[in-house]
Amino acid sequence: MAEISFKREIESLKLGDGQTFQGEGIIAVTKALLQSGVSYVGGYQGAPVGHLLDVLVEAKEEMQRLGVHVEPCMNEAAAAAMLGASVNYPIRGAVTWKSIVGTNVAADALSNLASPGVKGGALIIVGEDYGEGASVIQERTHAFALKSSIWLMDPRPELSNIVRMVEKSFELSEASNTPVMLELRIRACHMFGAFEAKANRAAPQSTAQRIPEPAAFEYMRLAHPPVTFIQETDKFRRRLPAAQDFIMEHGLNETRGPQEGEIGIIVQGGLFNALNSRLEAAGLSDVYGDVGLPVLVLNVTHPLAPRQIEQFCLGKKAVLVVEEGQPDYLEQAIGQILRKADLQTRIFGKDVLPMGGEYTQRVLGQGLAAFLRANGRDCGALDAWLASLAAHEEMVRGMLAAPMPARPPGLCTGCPERPVFSAMKVLKGEIGPTHVAADIGCHALATFAPFDQGNSILGYGMSLASAAAVSNTQARKPVSIMGDGGFWHNGLLTGVAGSVFNRNDGVLIIMNNGYSSATGAQDLPSSAPTDDGRGAGVDIEKTLRGMGVKAISRVRTYDIARMIKTLREAILSPAKGLRVIIADGECQLARQRRIKPQNAKALAEGERVVRTRFWVDPEVCTGDHSCIRLSGCPSLTLKPNEDPLRKDPIAHVNNDCVGCGVCGDVSHAAQLCPSFAQIDIVQNPRWIDRFREKWETKLIRRLSGGARA
Amino acid sequence: MSAPIRILISALGGEGGGVLASWLADAAMADGYVAQRTSVPGVAQRTGSTTYYVEMLRAEGRTPVLCLAPTAGEVDLFIATELLEAGRLIQAGFVTPDRTTIIAPLRRVYAITEKIAMSDGRADSDLIVEAAKRFSKAHHIGDFQAVADKAKALLNAVIFGLACRALPLSPEACRTAIKLDGRAVEANLRGFEAGLAYDGDEAPVEAPAAEPAPSVFDAKIDAMIDGLPQEARLHARVGVERLVDFQDAAYARLYLERLERFAAMGGADGAFVSELARHLAVRMSSEDVVRVAQLKLREARLARVRAEARARQGDIVRVTEFLKPGPDEFLSILPAPLARALLGLVRLAGLERASVPMRVHTTGLWGFLRLRALASMRGLRPVSLRAAQEKAWIEGWLNLVEQALQKDPAAAREVVETAQLVRGYGDTWERGHANWRRIAEEVIAPMLGGAQNAAHFADAVLQARLAAVADPEGKRLDAMIASLKQVAAPAAA
Repeated sequence: MAEISFKREIESLKLGDGQTFQGEGIIAVTKALLQSGVSYVGGYQGAPVGHLLDVLVEAKEEMQRLGVHVEPCMNEAAAAAMLGASVNYPIRGAVTWKSIVGTNVAADALSNLASPGVKGGALIIVGEDYGEGASVIQERTHAFALKSSIWLMDPRPELSNIVRMVEKSFELSEASNTPVMLELRIRACHMFGAFEAKANRAAPQSTAQRIPEPAAFEYMRLAHPPVTFIQETDKFRRRLPAAQDFIMEHGLNETRGPQEGEIGIIVQGGLFNALNSRLEAAGLSDVYGDVGLPVLVLNVTHPLAPRQIEQFCLGKKAVLVVEEGQPDYLEQAIGQILRKADLQTRIFGKDVLPMGGEYTQRVLGQGLAAFLRANGRDCGALDAWLASLAAHEEMVRGMLAAPMPARPPGLCTGCPERPVFSAMKVLKGEIGPTHVAADIGCHALATFAPFDQGNSILGYGMSLASAAAVSNTQARKPVSIMGDGGFWHNGLLTGVAGSVFNRNDGVLIIMNNGYSSATGAQDLPSSAPTDDGRGAGVDIEKTLRGMGVKAISRVRTYDIARMIKTLREAILSPAKGLRVIIADGECQLARQRRIKPQNAKALAEGERVVRTRFWVDPEVCTGDHSCIRLSGCPSLTLKPNEDPLRKDPIAHVNNDCVGCGVCGDVSHAAQLCPSFAQIDIVQNPRWIDRFREKWETKLIRRLSGGARA
Repeated sequence: MSAPIRILISALGGEGGGVLASWLADAAMADGYVAQRTSVPGVAQRTGSTTYYVEMLRAEGRTPVLCLAPTAGEVDLFIATELLEAGRLIQAGFVTPDRTTIIAPLRRVYAITEKIAMSDGRADSDLIVEAAKRFSKAHHIGDFQAVADKAKALLNAVIFGLACRALPLSPEACRTAIKLDGRAVEANLRGFEAGLAYDGDEAPVEAPAAEPAPSVFDAKIDAMIDGLPQEARLHARVGVERLVDFQDAAYARLYLERLERFAAMGGADGAFVSELARHLAVRMSSEDVVRVAQLKLREARLARVRAEARARQGDIVRVTEFLKPGPDEFLSILPAPLARALLGLVRLAGLERASVPMRVHTTGLWGFLRLRALASMRGLRPVSLRAAQEKAWIEGWLNLVEQALQKDPAAAREVVETAQLVRGYGDTWERGHANWRRIAEEVIAPMLGGAQNAAHFADAVLQARLAAVADPEGKRLDAMIASLKQVAAPAAA
């Protein structure tokens, strides 16, 4: 079961003709898939598109009614390969993942999908994680579209337009026998808006109406010599022109504003709203997007239709290409089109706009002002706005000179992975540093303060593989960290099998928290099977033993002393081979979501419930914060020192504490201080609790006095 | 043509910023606006900074083109659920005096970099509040967390009430939005109404002016305190109380005698004696295991724990202490010759890092008795090894202070402050001592001996002290001392 319940979203997926859908961008895309009559949907979870799959996984009944097969795939390669169903059969399918990382993983299958092409519409929805809040490397999905001849949509962020583009993508895919990618930026995925819905369409062939006969043997459907050159030729001889015709005929790109004009702008659809706000500031548009100069909004950024570009640029002195990220693929393509058509329109683009980084309104305003100025247009309003921003910033700097302390994301309160990193930090103090191969997942947050560790991140589930040469060229064994998510995504084969096969030395810590936690607590093969979940209870330890790993230890993560001991032995052991430590501890977010209602119910029914939390003794704490440097728990914080003789703030545990005990255990294990205490609050105590409490208190009262001078 | 009203919300992951944004958008729609909201949660949902953005517009029957991200200089309402996050976006230029109303609570959730500082790394809240007032068009800054606690609601609901007043939204539309959301409706409505009715923080109950409490000391002690400069008396009084509790009146008198000696010296002004009184009292009541046991036996402690843990009437609260003194800490409370002999054996056996892990249940009889036994060793303390060590350190420190005072009073004050480095337990205690010794030997002593340019005496000691708490590994202190030597070298040559 995923982190969020999608009850309300599921209802919105069932809306019929003419009803108004209100909701989040990515759910609107999901609804558009159902309106398009998909037979299957797959993908791999990840921000910002994860909800697409989560909601469909939860919407079992509606999927059954429509005959849609829904599959959370093991990784993006599996998701891309799933589109293979549309290579042979005229059924529509969609898959989703986080780009660029997921697209990288999917690359092999994508190439082999694109080569034979598809009969049924195949759509890949990628979350383009670029700019503010991005959590992955910054590269453009566009490159994959270009190299594999996959069409790329970048819809203007308005729900009815996004929905239309999803629907049109399937038609485009079928009209040109080519898979289509649709990229959505983070804010567009999380944008709440409205559109007029259509009824969902059940596919003619689906889980409900199965295809009676398999496809006939046809070599052209295989991405395999001798047909691959024919397929490669087909991409540009037939499929490309078909797509360009479709784009023109169906008006997928939008021309806005006056037909004529000396200058114009060509913009990626996804950036139009931000651009419009700056045109507004320049006095060249309004809040309805009635632009005062010609603007070509590219909802499809690959392929371009040369005829459309020529028509737009004809008679124009200059155009500005607004394209986020590098390389400047669109600018290059437009330049080539104009050169071949012998049009002398000058192209502005990355000369007035930055090559890299997010195109915020401010960046766009600067670029737009430069473009207008270079073409003899008035940019006074924009200049005034930019100058006022600079002046304001100068004033603010005068008062707030030092940057505010950074607030990177961190592990949650009570996270079971924290004690592993605490143990590693304590051990580092004892035996010195080791090479740490980090990975993708919540545990990557240990690269931030207070743990500040990790020598490399090479990809999801890649930690152990990334340590292969390190383990053979370094005196001390490296430690690789992998989550259970990364283990199933990739690490099992590229890491563990590779390490066993090559007899590498090394220590692998697998964080077995029971879910794909960083992406929203989706189930994994090793998740516990539940009534409403997908967990299959596959045992990681047995899997490892089956692969020939002999040295496996299981440690409950919260047992810090044992974790330190196990790690020390593993790192310093002279024995050869891979040593795996399975760090068991359920994701605390998921755990709290599970036990909180149970405890509340038990409490209301008068049952005995013990609530545990930790506490820092304010009289004993001296305000050095060593404990925080070994923990970083959000609930272990600071408060002003009450002692008039001391100034530094002291450590303090707030009421978010879930009583995991890591702070107390760390101070124990590292011999920090005697400030920590565990507080057990016995609610609805039984008579035996009360009896004990009464007599002990009485005796203690009687005996005190002397010691309490 | 009207422009959209633009609202930027900055929050920490998991604080309900998203719910607040959805309430605002839903209320706007209930009032006939077109509203669009979006966010950048990503991994920020796990406690990092995160922002939400809402635009609302009285549309003229057409679909507007609304923005997905805020523009600096074009934010009408800026809401923060935490003060540092308010500061962050003020610094980024999103709050401007021509149009931005700011709503921010005074509460702080400390960022990790503030928390891991070895002394006080907290951002200056007063400065952020001042900036918020100065750079906004209108401001609503207050203790909204207290309002929420009082209403038994969450902070975001209270802020929704405040935002309703700052926006052209009807309270009815806001209530509708809360009901539409359907989660914890009653609590959220309570919070909303509390925010809507908010008219300034309740004036904090003035603590009665610090009347000098009726003395618990003998007349001689009172006279000694009164003989100190006015500014130093508060610290001295607290110090005496602490030391009587720590040991006895004779020990407190020793403290006052030490202060008196310094107060009589040239260059020792009131502020100097006050700081000396503060540090000396802390150093003279160093937390040995006897002291820790004593503190943990206080009866007032349990009431405090109960209140902090929000225990209800009838709940039973049990306290388990995590104690793990090392051999040094444990044995040094024994009489010095015995302690030295035993510690020698420990070292021979290579057990310096061994320790005695204890989980002592202080609300239980057995745990109480164990701590009580420890605390009762107080009588032995004056002859203990630890007391001898502390005494030697204090005298060494005071000696340096005295010498510095003769040379440069400003530097003497910095030498006093170095006592702050020596504190804590276990490794922290050892690291503090080691750092202090380095500063004493490699910074203070050369200055006193005239080997280095004494004009920078005070500054050098200050810089060394700050460097010592810059990182636990001591890298900054190494660099600082190395640079000091470089400066000194040519002069010496």
